[in-house]
Formats: sequence, structure tokens, C-alpha cells
Amino acid sequence: MTFNKNLKNLFLVVFTTLILSACSTAKKSGNLDGDVYTGKETVKYLASGVPDRIFFATNKSSLTTASRATLRKQATFLRKNKKLNVTIEGHADERGTREYNLALGERRANAARDYLMTYGISGNRISVISYGKEKPVNPASTPLAWSQNRRSVTVKVN
Amino acid sequence: MKKIYLALLFYLISFNYSKALIEIDITRGNLDPLPIAVSPLHVDAKSDQIEGLKVKDLGNNISAIIEKNFKNTGLFNTLKKEAFVQKPDIAHLKPRFEDWRLIKAQALVTGKLLIKDGKLKIEFRLWDLTAAKEMTALAFTTTPSNWRRVAHIISDKIYERLTGEEGYFDTRIIYVAESGPKNERVKKLAIMDQDGANTKYLTLGNELVLTPRFNPTNQMVTYLSYFRNMPRVYLLDIETGMQEVVGNFPGMTFAPRFSPDGKKIIMSFAEDGNSDIYTMDLETRVVERITNHSSIDTSPSFSPDGKYIVFNSDRSGLQQIYVMRSDGSEVKRITFGKGIYGTPVWSPRGDLIAFTKVRKGRFYIGVMRVDGTGERLLTENFYQEAPSWSPNGRVLVFYRETKSGKKGEGFSASLWSIDITGYNERKLTTKTDASDPSWSSLLSK
Amino acid sequence: MTKSLIYSLIFHSIMILLTILSLPFMTRQPIDLPPIVSVELIQISDKTNIPYAPKVRKIIEETKKKEERVVSEQAPPSAKAKEKPDRIPLPNDKKEKKEIVKKKQNPEEIKPQIRQSSEFEKKEIVDTNQIAALIDKAKEIEAVKQEKSKKLTQSNVKNSFATGLTLSEEDALRAQIFGCWSVPLGLPYDEDLLVRIKLKLKKDGTIMKSEILDHQRMNMPGQKFYKILAESALRAVRLCQPLKVPPTGYEKWKDIQLNFNPAEMLRG
Repeated sequence: MTFNKNLKNLFLVVFTTLILSACSTAKKSGNLDGDVYTGKETVKYLASGVPDRIFFATNKSSLTTASRATLRKQATFLRKNKKLNVTIEGHADERGTREYNLALGERRANAARDYLMTYGISGNRISVISYGKEKPVNPASTPLAWSQNRRSVTVKVN
Repeated sequence: MKKIYLALLFYLISFNYSKALIEIDITRGNLDPLPIAVSPLHVDAKSDQIEGLKVKDLGNNISAIIEKNFKNTGLFNTLKKEAFVQKPDIAHLKPRFEDWRLIKAQALVTGKLLIKDGKLKIEFRLWDLTAAKEMTALAFTTTPSNWRRVAHIISDKIYERLTGEEGYFDTRIIYVAESGPKNERVKKLAIMDQDGANTKYLTLGNELVLTPRFNPTNQMVTYLSYFRNMPRVYLLDIETGMQEVVGNFPGMTFAPRFSPDGKKIIMSFAEDGNSDIYTMDLETRVVERITNHSSIDTSPSFSPDGKYIVFNSDRSGLQQIYVMRSDGSEVKRITFGKGIYGTPVWSPRGDLIAFTKVRKGRFYIGVMRVDGTGERLLTENFYQEAPSWSPNGRVLVFYRETKSGKKGEGFSASLWSIDITGYNERKLTTKTDASDPSWSSLLSK
Repeated sequence: MTKSLIYSLIFHSIMILLTILSLPFMTRQPIDLPPIVSVELIQISDKTNIPYAPKVRKIIEETKKKEERVVSEQAPPSAKAKEKPDRIPLPNDKKEKKEIVKKKQNPEEIKPQIRQSSEFEKKEIVDTNQIAALIDKAKEIEAVKQEKSKKLTQSNVKNSFATGLTLSEEDALRAQIFGCWSVPLGLPYDEDLLVRIKLKLKKDGTIMKSEILDHQRMNMPGQKFYKILAESALRAVRLCQPLKVPPTGYEKWKDIQLNFNPAEMLRG
């Protein structure tokens, strides 16, 4: 319990620092949690309130709390639009070797797909494709751009 | 009996004394490139004229190619033509060795050519100037349009004679030609001669193509294409343009490479987010699964005897390099250094593995022994990866990407080569931006 | 609990079935392939097989004879197999390669060379490509090598005491040869290569006779690098003439042995 409290406090401190730093320097460029992008700058929407993408930490394909929330919204959206199929595109930043990044993108896309499936979306409505580092959304060579490029994007097919 | 022995012993001792030879160990020398003079090839005045070919300049052009090849190795210092002391035709008959030695040349290449009845006849000689003798001499007959290849073949023969190693000049490099802004790159398969000449594009750029690799035994290429948005490994015959998808995999296949005998393709297949290594026999079409692990296993490369596979896996948590038997047994991790390791490629000589290493945000190309010891990092940069060996195992070619600005400006990708000693780092000339190079074996082997 | 499990099972198997059935890849026509620009890469016509003009060959042979005369004065220490095929077969006549070579060449001249190169390749496979050995034994090899180099330096020290030259005299000579020797940079850094040359000197330091002690190794299969090194060492000695020898004590240094060992340099 005390541990939880401590964690909460820590979280609060980190959060406020992040917000403060965001205010002072990077108002528009969004912010990072660890090195996972949490901003909205590159995000598009499948429908109102349904973001199309989630972000990952370097070399990781695990889903963050925020990513899960986004995917649950996508699942709800897909349940409502039963005829809609999607492709999940997995991407990596430019800071890895090409072949490993292809595998990593595939793994990220599948992490998202698996999560959608646990929320009742049929697997055959979701195809995956990995682009590795081939299609950066932000072409800059900065940690922020890389965080925006480590993503999986749900794209409507029909 | 004893006496005889004693006498023998005495004899031996005294013999040794009288033969006490002064011995001097020479362990250092001049590490400068070998000074070599490449005389322009003499063009026979009786030569026919060929349309589209400046026959008069052919001798100069051929020697220029040979010179450039030598210079690029970093092992030779080609001397300036202004200093040459004999006319090409006379030198070719018999050089005045003393005079050539005056310009500090240690080796001399001479030659002549004749075009008659639509055929190009070329001969060359390599002279050891200090020993005042001929080291090698060869003659060729071919069609005139092949003059560049002959220049490369001559370069190979001379290189082999002077270094003891097979040359690598009569070779090609297949790569991915890139154009357009960083986030909308257009990529085409391209092929060129090792020296950058004769660039040809093999695909139109409509679909994303990546990682082409030469078959070490012929003119086949395997590569990854996103045709119809389905990333699959393809097999392409560059002479006929025939191609096919490799295997019937229900998902992405990638990171292809040929086995050393050219009869199999080894690659990764991604299934439900998990990438494992598979081989497909090109004759029998039999697909074999080599690894079965919940981690990413990719970038496989066979040892030249075909008995081992080196590959990249993150089963330890981060990308590291592993070696296993070609049936997938006896997996052994070989990299334990700080940082992550990728793109291992076994050298054609068999004694080294080239790799990419990432540490503290910097990228290195390096080589190590096949048990992971003796790591040598050859070059450091912002981004570089994917080494490919020259057929003689002497030089690595790889690609580099530059850091780009806010909107992707300043981004470029280019091919580079480096000697495995770490010397002679050199940018290759390509017509467009370029990445993912793969070196062919000798064409005229 | 079991109910949900059954539901899940049914659901999953339906899904798998649907995936299999609906995968576009399974039904795709093999003709459907990305367009390829075909490239004619090797443009060698059948005319490549035309043999060398006999007249030209005559000239070559004449010059060769002249050459040999010149060379014999210089007395190269070892006979070398001469490689003189008329032409190099280009790729599309690979199969004819050996036949042509056999037919057209003076077999005595060409045979050792051919054998050498082919066995060189074989040897290479046996020597360096036994990956199994390499994987586990690279370390051992390294250890052995280190020992060897230790021994070498030890013998080095011994030699300098045993010579009839003073240390400074020896150093002068050594330094001179260091400057003349262009080390072939392409040599493998991890191979044991040592070339020993025995010289017979005149009083002025010029070379009367030079002999490579293991000269038979020069033409042995798989010893290409040795040959290259030996040639470079011979070049060095010739370039250095006259050697910087002491003005006195000719009897002591008229026979001298030079051991060329590039290992240290090539490794560094």
C-alpha cells in the first residue's frame, strides 16, 4: 500500500515535471514518457475520439497503459462498424538495423492485433504489415521524431 | 663405438662453428602502397574503327580503369603518366628496367590492343622492375564492347600476382537506389560494376524493395519486395528477368541470403509477431524450419562450408549474434560486448564474421573471429550497417545514412567500402542515393 | 469456465479457418509478379574463342627468350612456373577453359601453375574453412601464436649476440633494409609467414648471390602468400644494394641471412 502511494507520488512528480518542461520548451512537440511518445502531433483519427496509432519504447513491442486505452477505443469502434476491415502497420525508428526493424515492426503490429482480438475483434478483419524503418512519419533525426516513428497504425482497408 | 659418436659430435660442433651465420630479423618495412606504373596500352595503328568507340583512346581508357582499380585498393600507388620514361609500344616489348626504377616504380604494366574484324585483342605484361623480369603475361580476345570487363580482368590478374589473393574487380554490386524525400523514398533495385560504371535499374520503383543479395555461384539475386503490399522474398535471374516468390509463406518473409553453394535460400519468416529462420531448397522446394524460438531470429548467413549459420536474435533481451549448426542445433551466443549487434555476415574465407554494432547511439562496422573473440571495430558513424564481403574476403561494402534536419533535409544514403584492416575507407560513386549493397562473386571465375 | 474455454476454442478455430481461406496469398496467381527491367549483363559473343594470332605469339616468345637472357645474368634464386595462357576464358566459355588451356599451352609450362591454383583452393577449404575447428579453437590458435612470437623475439635476442656484427652495425643494416622493403599489404595478418634469404656479399656490399632458404615452398600449392612475401623480400634486397656493411671483417659478414617476418606489422 505504502509502495503504491510512493509510486503515485513519484508519478505525480514526474508528471508535473514533464508538464512543466513541456510548457517551457516543447509546447507543440508533445512529450515523452520514458521514451514513449505520448503527444498528439502525428496522430490521426479513425473516428472522432478514436486515435489511429500507438507508440512504443525503443526496441520494445509491449503496450503501455495509454496504448491499451487507445486500442480499446479502436475495438469499440470496430465492433460498431462490423463491415470494416483494418490493416495494422508496424513501424520502427531509424536507429536499428533494417532487417531487425522489419521483425520489430511486425511484432509491434501483432501486439496491437492481439490486443484488439482479446476485445472481441475477429482476427480475419485485421491484417498486419511491417514497414520497419522504411516509412517514418517524422523524417527528422531527433529523439522526438524517433519516438513518433516507433508506432503501429491502424488503417481502414475498406 | 663411443669414439665414433664423439668424433661425430666434435665434427658437428666444429661444423656449426664454421657455419655461424649472421642472421638478421627483418620485422619492419615500408607500409606505403607499392609504387606501380601502368603504361597506357598501345593501340595498333592497323585497328579498325568501331562506331561508338573511340579506338584511339581505348589504350588510355583501359589503363585508366586499371589504375583506378589499383588506387582504390589502397595497396598500390599508381605513378603519374607524365613521369613515364618509355613509349607504350617499346616498353611493352622490353622495358628499360633501370630507367623505370628511376621513377621509383617497382612494378610496371604494359600492353597493347588491336581491333580487327570486329574483335578486340588485348595483351598485357606485368614486369617486376627490381628483379628485371616478367611476372605474368596474358592475352584476350573478345568483342570490343567488352573492353571495360577486360580492363577489370587484367586488374584482377595483376592484383592476384602481386598480392597472392584473388582480385575483386571483375565484379558487380547490386544495391537499392533511393530517391525522393526521406518519408516518401522511392526505391529501385540497381546494379553496377564494382567501379560504379554501367548502372542499370532492375525495378521501376513502384513498390518498395529491400536487401538484394547475390547468389555466390551465379547471376541470381534474392531480395525483399513489397509488391501488392505483401512483403515477400523473391528470386530473380538478372540475365533473363525471370522471377518468383520464394516459398508459400502466409506472412512476411525477409532477410534472405543464399547458401554458399547457391542452392538454398535462408531467410526469416514472421508469424504472429515472431520471426524465425527458414531455408528453402531451390531445387526440391523443400522448406525447413531452422529456429523455433519466441524471440526475433533474423539476418541469417551461412558459413562458407555450409555447416554453420550465424544469425541475429534478441532472445537474450537485446540483439546479439549467435552461431548454430545448419540444422539449428547447438545454438551458441558469440557476442557479449557492450551494445547491440546485428547483420552478421560470414566472410567467404570463413575466418571472420562482419557485423554492425550499435553502442551509445553510434553505429560501427566491425569484424570478429567466428567464436566472437578478436572483435575489431573498423569504422564509426551516425548510422551505418549491412556489411557485404568482397569475394576475396578482403574488403567490406556497407551503407551509411546521414543525420537529417527537422523536415528530413540533409538526408542521404550512400555506399562505402573499407579494408578489413580498417584502412582505406572510401565512398563508392553511385548515380543516386544507395543502400543495401551486395557484392557479386568474380564474373570470370 | 469450461464454457468459455469451449467458446474460445470454437471462436479461434473458426478464425484460423477464415484466415486460411481468406488469405489472398494462397489464391494468388504465380504470374502476378512485379515488373522487372531485364538487363543484358554479359555481352560476350561466340567470337571470344578465337585463338591468339600466331604471329603475335611469336613476338611474345621472342621477347620472352630475350627476357630470360637478361634475367639469367641477374640469377633469380629460384625457378618459377610461368603462367602464360593465350587468353583468359570469359564466363560463357567456362567449360572450355581447361580444354583450351591444355591444347594450346606448352603443358610443361602451364601444368604446375594450374595444379597450384586448384589445390590452393582446395587447401583453403581444408585449412581455413573448417569452421568447427575455428569456432572453438580460435582462442587456442591465438595462444599458440603468442607463444611463437615470444620465442621469436627470444631467438632474436640470441641472434644479435651470436652475430659477427656489432649491434650498431647490425642496426644500420637492418634500418637500411626496413626502408627498402615494401611489405605486401594484402598478406593475411594471421598466417605464419617467414622468409629466410641467404646472401653472399661482395666486399662493397653488393650481392653476389641470393638464395631463398625454403624456396621450394614458393611453388607449393597453397603457398601463394609465401611466394608474394619472398618476392617482396628479394626486391627489398636488390633495391638496397649496396648493403651498408662494415668496412672490415669481410669474412664475418660475407654470408649473411635475413629473416623477413611481417607478422608483427600486419597485425598492428
